Amino acid sequence: MRRFLLKLRRRRRLHDDLAEELAFHQDQARRHGNPVPLGSTTRITEASLDLWRFAWIENLWRDVVYAAKGLAHSPTLVASAMLSLGLGIGVNAAMFSLASGLLFSHPSVHAPETLVGVQLGGNSHVERRIFDFVRDSRIFRDMVGENEETLANYDNSVTTRPVFALAGTKNYFTSLGIPVALGRGFEPRDPDEVAVLGYEFWRKEFNGDPTIVNRTIRLEGKPYSVVGVLPATHRTLVGFGFAPDVYIPAYLPDTILAITARLEPGESLAVARERVKAVSERIDATFPSEFKYARTISVEPVGAPAVLRGQIMTIALFFALLLGVVGLVLLMACVNVAGLLLARASTRRRELAIRLAIGASRGRLLQQLLVESALLAMLGAIVALLLAGLAGVVVERLELPVPVPVRLHIDLDWRVGLYAALVTTIALATGLLPAWQTVRDAIAPSLRRERKYRMRRLLVVGQVATSVVVLATSGLFVRNLLAAHAVSPGFDVTRTLRATVNLPTAAYGSSAPIDAFVDRALAATRAVPGIEAVAAARTLPFNSNTHMGMPVTLDSGEQVEMRFAWNAVTPDFFRALGIPIVEGRSFTDNDRAGERPVIVNRAFVSRYLANRRPLGMVLQWGPPEDRLHRIVGVVGNTKTLTVAEDDQPQVYEPFSRIHNDRRTLQFVMRSGLMPAQQLNALTRAMRAVEPNAGLQVATMYDSIGLAFPAEPDRRSSYGIRGTAGAPVVGGRPLRRDVVFGRPAVARDWRAHRPRRDWRRYLASRGRRRDAAADHRDNARSHRRAARHATALDVPREGTVFD
Amino acid sequence: MGKSETPTLLQGTLDLLILHALQRGTMHGYAIAQTIHLLSAEVLKVEEGSLYPALHRLELDGAVKAEWGVSDNNRRAKYYEITRQGRKLLAAQHDTWGRLSAAVQRVLAS
Repeated sequence: MRRFLLKLRRRRRLHDDLAEELAFHQDQARRHGNPVPLGSTTRITEASLDLWRFAWIENLWRDVVYAAKGLAHSPTLVASAMLSLGLGIGVNAAMFSLASGLLFSHPSVHAPETLVGVQLGGNSHVERRIFDFVRDSRIFRDMVGENEETLANYDNSVTTRPVFALAGTKNYFTSLGIPVALGRGFEPRDPDEVAVLGYEFWRKEFNGDPTIVNRTIRLEGKPYSVVGVLPATHRTLVGFGFAPDVYIPAYLPDTILAITARLEPGESLAVARERVKAVSERIDATFPSEFKYARTISVEPVGAPAVLRGQIMTIALFFALLLGVVGLVLLMACVNVAGLLLARASTRRRELAIRLAIGASRGRLLQQLLVESALLAMLGAIVALLLAGLAGVVVERLELPVPVPVRLHIDLDWRVGLYAALVTTIALATGLLPAWQTVRDAIAPSLRRERKYRMRRLLVVGQVATSVVVLATSGLFVRNLLAAHAVSPGFDVTRTLRATVNLPTAAYGSSAPIDAFVDRALAATRAVPGIEAVAAARTLPFNSNTHMGMPVTLDSGEQVEMRFAWNAVTPDFFRALGIPIVEGRSFTDNDRAGERPVIVNRAFVSRYLANRRPLGMVLQWGPPEDRLHRIVGVVGNTKTLTVAEDDQPQVYEPFSRIHNDRRTLQFVMRSGLMPAQQLNALTRAMRAVEPNAGLQVATMYDSIGLAFPAEPDRRSSYGIRGTAGAPVVGGRPLRRDVVFGRPAVARDWRAHRPRRDWRRYLASRGRRRDAAADHRDNARSHRRAARHATALDVPREGTVFD
Repeated sequence: MGKSETPTLLQGTLDLLILHALQRGTMHGYAIAQTIHLLSAEVLKVEEGSLYPALHRLELDGAVKAEWGVSDNNRRAKYYEITRQGRKLLAAQHDTWGRLSAAVQRVLAS
């Protein structure tokens, strides 16, 4: 240490001092008549100076300068190495950051480790009175409720459209300790009409206006005061990149809430479970019903890591696969650069031989060559960081083809830095191979040729091998993608349009006005020229989905535990979507009273009613007063969430017979014209019926085209905690709707994007192979339909898909 | 200059001689060389090529301290002074040298 400081202090004047000292010496010698020959001053100077230098550092520096000069002479080598390594390292860093951000980061809250998600009776959400009961029992230090699936009508003075809102209890921000970028979160003393904006919503809708705080926006037909804006890096409790547009207090009494509670520091989950259990038992005593909250309770840590704990192996495998693929890209880059360096080495044989001859040590030469590859690796790393940063910007702006707002962040945090450093070291290590080879060649030139060829052969073989693996993998991906396009979703997506309507809260508090609106909207849209069929539905395939699971009693008295997708539709639904009616009939207006009819799909018949004649069969479920459901028709299968899924059992009920408490409605229209040409007319017709409703009209193809690539089960991928079993609250089944409204606005240009046409082309090509099978299928269903001829339409078109 | 006239210094002995000379007080490089020359009855001639690197090495090791001063004839000169650490080093080297030369003597006397 002392030496180091001494060296540092002396460094600057070193050369002059030494010269002066030596001059003085010579002078003295001459003066005393004793001229001692000093010999080579240079040698003395060098010898003394070397002592004072930080030898290896300065050698290193000289090597760096030399390497830089050398590399400057071969810009092509540098460019290709930078590009290869930059891509390799950049892709790795970006992928790592994406995966770590998506899977392993905590929600943006204070002390996430003390937060737990509480589920009562197996339900992810509970009614307000239950929430209040638990809160008032004071078993937790703090407790918040949120409903992350709320749609709110946002009016930007040009149009009204539904946006994704997270409705939270008023202590949501204060109790969770959520950091905001601008202003503040809402607080318990705030009025009901306050909002905190999500970053993307703020950026897109208000151009990131910093003066937004305290301004007023119109939500649900009412002025809401903006109190704050969340940062771009905000991570919700749900995780998985889920990013609602606005955060509002949950003031509506019928908002069901997911419970998140904060434990005392050090309080164990087991203790918390005991308490929750005790409270649930008191709830069951206080609100007597068939449904028992104490039946299943769960208290689990919040955040993606906790949610994923159960499936950590799957996730780890998926993660490993992704990193493996990008790792291969890096490997290819490294092999590429190693090859380049090796080629370069052959041109430098002379130089190295000379340096060896004048006394450079082997280590010294190796250092020189390694410095060169380190320089390349560092340049590559710089490119990589730029690329990763760029990827971050792109990914952040990315509209993911999923029907919920999801935002991904590529945060270049310390973990990613560490990873990038590791990856760069690997890249550096590839420089070692050619360097070692080169030095050995220079030392033993006679062996040179053969060895180099062997090395080159190895490199080429490695490169070809990895390329083949990567090409094969991507080929398989593309093939899967095409196959996904070739799979029919079971309904027509080319001649159809859809509209999502979110009715304003104020005027549509009960089912009567909602039903009235549906009738008027159907009449108005049916009157649009070119529209052949119109229907309303509770949910639309690929957008939202309601699952029910419960014991169903058959005619025979046998009770079967069934799970099926559930939907409520108006009579023309099947005609509008081109879903073939295989047997029986569709709903009619006569179904508004009398027996409760249901229509099931083929998958339902084959799974639960095997070997029985479905038509006329009575299924029993639900509350005693409407327990009997008679099957009046069987329709073709449709995919519900992805084309990759197996056909699922589905039950349809008449829209007019359900208790219509939901203000979000789906409409489908079949058009004789190009669907894209109908957007404006349909929007006008719908608007005229209810100007205050949030409205989105889109062609079916634009709306769900992106749902086609094969995807894993969305319910688990996006962390929406679905309900298992059949919760029945107060004698009525509590339908857990997994809502995925799609925030795609009807924009004409989207309908004409060439990419879509390309996809359509590919899809049609993929289908051609199956045309014969399709034809057989359709012929069969036509025959069957003819046999059970009814008053209702059989789809006129031969194929499901245009 | 014939090779035999000035016996070359054994490796390591130069440090010992320099430190020994400096025991007499601070002096500059030339004076050190002269002192060794005179004390050895003009047998040992310290080559400047070895002297200065050795001085700098000793300074870095902390055995001597260097400071710029003014010489008798009013010129800037670098003066060297032995430090406490230097004295310890001297004692140790003196010891080693004593044992080494005695051993060599014994070998030659046998």
